[in-house]
Amino acid sequence: MATVTAPLPVGVGHVEGKKFKLNELLRWSVDHKIIGIQYMMTAFFFFIVGGALAMMIRWELLTPAIDLMADGTSYNQLFSIHGTVMIFLWIVPMMAGFGNYLLPLMLGAKDMAFPWLNAFAFWLIPPAGILMLSGFFVGQAEAGWTSYPPLSTLFSGDGQTLWAMSIHLLGLSSILGGINFIVTIKNMRPQGMGYFQMPLFAWAILATSIIVVLATPFLAGGLTLLLLDRVAGTAFFNPAEGGDVLLWQNVFWFYSHPAVYIMILPAFGMLSEILSVHSRKPIFGYRAIALSSLAIALVGFTVWAHHMFTSLTPELRIPFMITSMIIAVPTGIKVFSWLATLFGGKIHLTSAMVFALGFLSMFVIGGISGVMLGSIPVDIHVHDTYFVVSHLHFVLYGGSVFGIFAGIYHWFPKITGRMLNERLGKWHFIFTYIGFFFTFFPQHVVGILGMPRRVAEYAPEFQGWNVLISVASFVMGMATFILLYNIVISLRNGKEAGANPWRALTLEWQTSSPPPAHNFIGDPVPFKNPYGYGTKAAWEYLHKQEEKLGESVDALNVDKPASSVPAGD
Amino acid sequence: MSDIAKVQHTAESPQRVENVKFAMWLYLASDVIIFSILIATFVLFRVNNEEVVKEVHEASGLFLVSLNTFLLLASSWAMVMGLREIKRDNRKGLIRWIGLTAVLGIVFVALQGVEYTILSNEGITIYGSEFGMRFYAPTAFHGAHVIIGVLWALGVVWHAMKGGYGPKNYSGVEVFGLYWHFVDVVWILLFTLIYLI
Repeated sequence: MATVTAPLPVGVGHVEGKKFKLNELLRWSVDHKIIGIQYMMTAFFFFIVGGALAMMIRWELLTPAIDLMADGTSYNQLFSIHGTVMIFLWIVPMMAGFGNYLLPLMLGAKDMAFPWLNAFAFWLIPPAGILMLSGFFVGQAEAGWTSYPPLSTLFSGDGQTLWAMSIHLLGLSSILGGINFIVTIKNMRPQGMGYFQMPLFAWAILATSIIVVLATPFLAGGLTLLLLDRVAGTAFFNPAEGGDVLLWQNVFWFYSHPAVYIMILPAFGMLSEILSVHSRKPIFGYRAIALSSLAIALVGFTVWAHHMFTSLTPELRIPFMITSMIIAVPTGIKVFSWLATLFGGKIHLTSAMVFALGFLSMFVIGGISGVMLGSIPVDIHVHDTYFVVSHLHFVLYGGSVFGIFAGIYHWFPKITGRMLNERLGKWHFIFTYIGFFFTFFPQHVVGILGMPRRVAEYAPEFQGWNVLISVASFVMGMATFILLYNIVISLRNGKEAGANPWRALTLEWQTSSPPPAHNFIGDPVPFKNPYGYGTKAAWEYLHKQEEKLGESVDALNVDKPASSVPAGD
Repeated sequence: MSDIAKVQHTAESPQRVENVKFAMWLYLASDVIIFSILIATFVLFRVNNEEVVKEVHEASGLFLVSLNTFLLLASSWAMVMGLREIKRDNRKGLIRWIGLTAVLGIVFVALQGVEYTILSNEGITIYGSEFGMRFYAPTAFHGAHVIIGVLWALGVVWHAMKGGYGPKNYSGVEVFGLYWHFVDVVWILLFTLIYLI
């Protein structure tokens, strides 16, 4: 592919970046960078909360009898809030945080299209989180994160009402954020950057936001009816009074299946950036990756009833099985494109890269168990067992969360101006990877053997497996604190990163770290192909960039081959 | 900064106008979906329980709701007239017409309240009636939209009284218009589905 560079403005000189200050993060701000960090910090807090709940679940399951929890109800509350917090208060806001921080930078814009709306959307999240957790004081929700009626209407405590209100707020926040992203991508790209010159992360955010805007209202509608059932005495979901329980399942999954892609598509986008940069190779199949995101968004709307194989009329099973199989195709296109990107590349096993590779391997396992679950005979055998739990965690932890970790290692230098400690990063990866694998892989086995999910007491023959799973999960849980420790010490003592430590070509690296208030001094000029690594034009572009923005760490040792450059430059 | 503010006062940046309008369309798209769920619950019931709905129709009568529909349509027309006036640089006209829009919206909500009272006196309530819950949920949700629209209209009037808007600077009115027409169109759909057929 021909790569063209436009000349950079000369003589601007080294730009002093803004210092990373904590007290700015606790105030209302309309700067997308601060909002992005606010999203990430809030989400990380809830990751710890959700993780603590998960640890309690695993502690309970060390023995076949109920011992840690008082009764089954409190166990139900545990896993209900674990699931809800992890999905709605950790992964979704974390991805929104990355999107907020990176998207305007990648597009060379000064801010999002609607800065005030952006801040408003963020500030809906902390009250929603408080609402969700305060349910523990009034009888917490206990109907699972899916909240099927009649469990969620006739049985669950008042916490369920708070749960629904909380999700309502979070949904509104997502919709407003999604509208903001779409408008930003459509109208705020710089001159010379068409849709097909955007970084793939921007494509992923675009596809995600389309799903957010069109799918979240289904949940909002369903939640409105659920709230009316609980508060106003209606019976939309109560067959005894003329309602219909399947209505909730249809509406909920019509949102929640696309929502699975809300959680994974941004991670796909981050992976496309990281794999290409850290293997110094152009991304393979740019258009295929970009358009498969849209294909996933589209087909994602046609598969919802595969969550209802056991409650649906049998005639409807086959069509939904077929669409579920079809959606594996665009995902497969991405995975093969990433493998082809790595092939023959100069792979640098940085912490970001090892997490990205961990994502690839674990997500493929999750994808395969997904295809197994999509086929009706298997699903009928293993539904509501730990097989489902395992599949879900392979795609959401092995996928989304590994993607988030990779993103943290990759973009931390840009956000804070300092490098994370690589050695600690590797230990974080090793413990997370091993802990993760031995937590969730054996769950396939206990699932096939027939251990039901969402039950605190289980048959004694499963205890061996469960002890293994619990111990591994404790290892994985502790590993997260290595990352936290790394972040804390690197903020103080980390190596000064400079503008572009990875020598990446996308625009967020075309400014100081952290970027100044309006992101760029002068208008940044995008490199025609954001993934044109390994070309002479790219090298010259990067060299000019360094002249303009000052020297930065060369974490991937890419300046060396060009020995014509005077030493020390 | 002050220079930029001055420029924006005389003519809005076309980028900003385009952003706001596009965002409004996206918001309306998501709102359509919420309405469609509430409407779908009614339609499914209507298909399976024809007699019940007929009884309610006979009990309630069409006069009040027809009047209401007429008022809401008139308010949309007032909205259009208001936009026309500001394009002609007539701020007083804008204030008058959008004020009328708000008044018609208030009357609509009030008459809906009267209708709710009549229906609940006949035993059709949101709880304890299979028809009631499916009737009140979408119409009340629409009513909430009208109330928000009235507040927005008053905001437009207030902004205009402070000297906002001009012949080159009326996107605020236009975006409100998109919302108000949307609320109107949804009502026509609800009116047709719930009262007429």
